[in-house]
Amino acid sequence: MKILIADDSRVMRQIVIRTLRQAGYDDHDIVEAEDGADALAKVGSEQPDLILSDWNMPNMSGIECLQALRASGSAVPFGFVTSEGSAEMREKAADAGALFLIAKPFTADTFTEHLDGVIA
Amino acid sequence: MTTTDTGQRRRSSDHRPLIPSLIDEATVLSIAEEAWLALVGEDEVLVPLSVELPVDIMSSWVDVVGPWTGSVVLTTGRCTAEALSRALLRESAPEVLEIEDVEDAFGEIANVVGGNVKAALTGPSSLSLPQVGNAPVVRNPADVCRVDVVWRGEPVSISVQGALPPLPVLRPTPQNPLRENEVPL
Repeated sequence: MKILIADDSRVMRQIVIRTLRQAGYDDHDIVEAEDGADALAKVGSEQPDLILSDWNMPNMSGIECLQALRASGSAVPFGFVTSEGSAEMREKAADAGALFLIAKPFTADTFTEHLDGVIA
Repeated sequence: MTTTDTGQRRRSSDHRPLIPSLIDEATVLSIAEEAWLALVGEDEVLVPLSVELPVDIMSSWVDVVGPWTGSVVLTTGRCTAEALSRALLRESAPEVLEIEDVEDAFGEIANVVGGNVKAALTGPSSLSLPQVGNAPVVRNPADVCRVDVVWRGEPVSISVQGALPPLPVLRPTPQNPLRENEVPL
């Protein structure tokens, strides 16, 4: 399985990768994107099976990336990993077609809770 | 009859809450502790204690814009910011940290703490991208919720501070012209 991780923070991308391993998802290909526009381009070139994306990023936000993907007909599974976990944002994420929203800070248990059944 | 708009009506109806009525120090501390445990390490504790910050400090912050507008600012010594960055990067930390690594890691802690502070406030708000540098000036001491902690023996301050009133706009005058490269606030 190929997982695309989109976050403008390199450190946070490392933390997400580390947490995936701690949660037991350590046998997957990882592709990194540094903002929503980069993620959108890499969906085309890398064909990921799952996207884990920050919300607030320069150039193109995570929600704009998700909306662009769905508008183009892509149904690639998409989840947010973001510091903003209000009810309003969770609703907005779900309405746009996100499978889940993991709020930072997170633990390996949080990842397991949301990703079991999504990651084969 | 000609009337003059003094702004009095707008000001009296434009009542904005001050941060101590929206969030308390215990909540800010709890948010910071959770961020430290998840990001910095499971054994990393914050001790609520006010210790004077060193001279060479660094701040990272995010701005919150909504019914309450202000910044969530983390300030610590430059060396402590580097130690925090190493803790976040763990095994992927390079031997010599670049300033970009420190800005990224320290900014991300402010992002996580700020995002959770924002979630604890009422009403829809937006959050800026994290910034690193000299902290925004405290505008109104009554619109501040500050928590001082010690991490690994070093002081860290977390300040949730309002952005109002705005700083006065500098206008060049013959007596006080703007210097070259000076940007009006």
